Amino acid sequence: MFIHNFKYSLKTLFRNKALIFWTFAFPIILGTFFNMAFSNIESSEKLDIINIAIIKNDDFNNNEIFKTAFEELSDKNNDDRLFETRYTTEEEAKKLLEDEEIVGYMKLVNDEPKLTFTTSGINETIFKYVSEEIAQTSNIIKNLSEEEIKKEMIAGNYNIDYESIYNNVIELTEEDDVRLNNVSNSNLGYTMIEFYTLIAMACLYGGILGAVAINQNLANMTNQGKRVSVSPTSKGKIILSSVLASYITQLVGVALLFLYTIFVLKVDYGNKLGLDIALAMAGSLAGLSLGVAVATTIKSNDNVKTGIIIAITMLGCFLSGMMGITMKYIIDKNIPIINKLNPASMITDGFYSLYYYDTLDRYIFDIGSLLIFAFVLIAISYISLRRQKYDSI
Amino acid sequence: MTVFKTFLKILNKNKFIIILYTVFLIGFGGFNMQTSDNSTNFVASKPDIMIVNYDEEKGITKDLIKYITDNSNIIELNNNEEAINDGLFYRDVNYVIYIPENYGKDFMDGKNPEIKIKSTGDYQSSFAEMLLSRYIKVANIYQKSIDNEDELISKINETLSKESEVEITSKLDTDGLAKATFYYNFASYSILACLVYVICLILSSFKDIKIQKRTIISSTNYRKLNRQLLLSNSLFSIILWGVYVALSFVLIGDVMFSNQGIIYLINSFIFTMCATTIALFIGNLVSNKNAINGIVNVIALGSSFLCGAFVPVEWLPDGVLKIAHILPSYYYISSNESLKTLEVFNLETMQPIITNMIVILGFSIIFIILTNIVSKRKQKIG
Repeated sequence: MFIHNFKYSLKTLFRNKALIFWTFAFPIILGTFFNMAFSNIESSEKLDIINIAIIKNDDFNNNEIFKTAFEELSDKNNDDRLFETRYTTEEEAKKLLEDEEIVGYMKLVNDEPKLTFTTSGINETIFKYVSEEIAQTSNIIKNLSEEEIKKEMIAGNYNIDYESIYNNVIELTEEDDVRLNNVSNSNLGYTMIEFYTLIAMACLYGGILGAVAINQNLANMTNQGKRVSVSPTSKGKIILSSVLASYITQLVGVALLFLYTIFVLKVDYGNKLGLDIALAMAGSLAGLSLGVAVATTIKSNDNVKTGIIIAITMLGCFLSGMMGITMKYIIDKNIPIINKLNPASMITDGFYSLYYYDTLDRYIFDIGSLLIFAFVLIAISYISLRRQKYDSI
Repeated sequence: MTVFKTFLKILNKNKFIIILYTVFLIGFGGFNMQTSDNSTNFVASKPDIMIVNYDEEKGITKDLIKYITDNSNIIELNNNEEAINDGLFYRDVNYVIYIPENYGKDFMDGKNPEIKIKSTGDYQSSFAEMLLSRYIKVANIYQKSIDNEDELISKINETLSKESEVEITSKLDTDGLAKATFYYNFASYSILACLVYVICLILSSFKDIKIQKRTIISSTNYRKLNRQLLLSNSLFSIILWGVYVALSFVLIGDVMFSNQGIIYLINSFIFTMCATTIALFIGNLVSNKNAINGIVNVIALGSSFLCGAFVPVEWLPDGVLKIAHILPSYYYISSNESLKTLEVFNLETMQPIITNMIVILGFSIIFIILTNIVSKRKQKIG
């Protein structure tokens, strides 16, 4: 009987088109959209080459420091290249700025840079900052040369080699001895969170399958349920086989989504795939238990139950960052208790910790919370299902 | 009137969906709406930096911190690695500077101590690194010839205080325009989703086989019925548009009263009309009520993601934008985007916007024709 009901539960679930669309196809479609929209965000946040213009007047032509500095910063072979520089007249520069070909232009007036932009922004700020940096370097060279000359004079040496002092100072300013050590984690792709919430959504949507499978066995829900309850088969067997069938259907859906995100969308799950799969299975179990709990405790029709599961799932995904990645961070930082109770966030956070952190403490906490969540809901369902009997219905 | 009353009844049953999409619009369109100073002066961008100082805060260390603080937004997170790592991942902070123990003393001894940093790798963090490197570089140069810490600090500050003069040419309220564009771009999703959902639902209710049989044998002419349905649907679209426009006046304010504001209105109105024709087309095509929800989500989310209603257009890959050309939302959003920088209003500068409007109208006509073809084919019922 167990096998029989299991087989037919699987068949009815797979033949329910609307159900299969929401649990199988919809996450895949949504993932495709995410991929299209977000695939460029991170690379467009890297510092790009900034288009600028410099007005080629006598001031600029005679100023060696500015000239060489901008040449170096616009050199195509330079790894630290910042600018694409055009040397133009003032009229041309104005035209370029109007056509948005450049972010701004610089004019040297008495060796002081004067900048023109259309608006404020990060590229403008960097351009301004670099021009100041070069002016500051001139200032250092001037200060240090004067200092050296003063020293020579105090020492009574009036036969000063200005050329070599100047060159020494320039050499000093060109020494690059800033010692920084970058210790950040390498996996910083925050758009991955979107895909993790997607998996979370798929896991929890699976609850709908559980709810539908349970409904078929409830006497107060369907005619089939009435027949099942008057049959001499033990209720435990029926419920267990239906739940198992929906769990397997759910896992097939999540597995498809996993394969799709890995091979087509190239989502990065870090390098512990086994743990990712375990997390997805625990997540699906949480989703299933949510569906079963809703189906058994709420006495209402199919649509209401499905609506409740969808609403809980969407709210959970919203709080774990599906509609704006920072949402998860804001909640985690300010009201952490909400996301500690939110199954979508447990799943998302589990994937995140596998991707971003080397240690497993956080992952274990997340997967543990999911199992506890599932256990509690299953216990509730068990209590509300047992000894359900109807004299008439 | 009977048709209109039924229309209102169905609408009332589904008001929750309409409210939901409107809440989305207010929530996301109104997100990030805090007003900032709209000045025509240059405002430097400031990266978000966190400083973890293990040294005593005095002398050169104090001055370094002061320099970074002046040029950035200092972020205070709990000083534990997990909080800092989370902050970096979610871009709450772009750059973390760890000043080691005895930094000031080692620096004055000429040891050039190493500084650990954490960085998100985006342009904000690149700029933050420029700030830090700049200070250390200047300090290193002077340190070689100056031994007195106070003199060193004053020399460093003298050099670093040199600023370039900046002139800003645009007089536009760029902040307000960016908000308005974001709001109206997002509205394309709400309008499309709401109209397709509601109109499909209403049409499919009228197409229910039992109801259709009853309306056919009733004394009401089917032309009259269709006309009333079309009118009620259009009325609903216009009211929805009106509500969203009214909301935009509340949420965005000043900008809506400018020339740009008028064009936002016209543009969104034309788009609403187009969305109505799309909805009528789909409503005639699909009669299964269960399928409507899926179709709405795929169409509205798809065209919004592809055309840049959620993610700014400049961040979308070129391939995606090419595909987006076949969707009306693309032309609507591209008009909104060009409004952001439009300063002079004449026929020449307005030309791309007008072209976009004509394209959207063209789409509407195509959908009307398609609707007629489909409904002609579906006239017969068993």
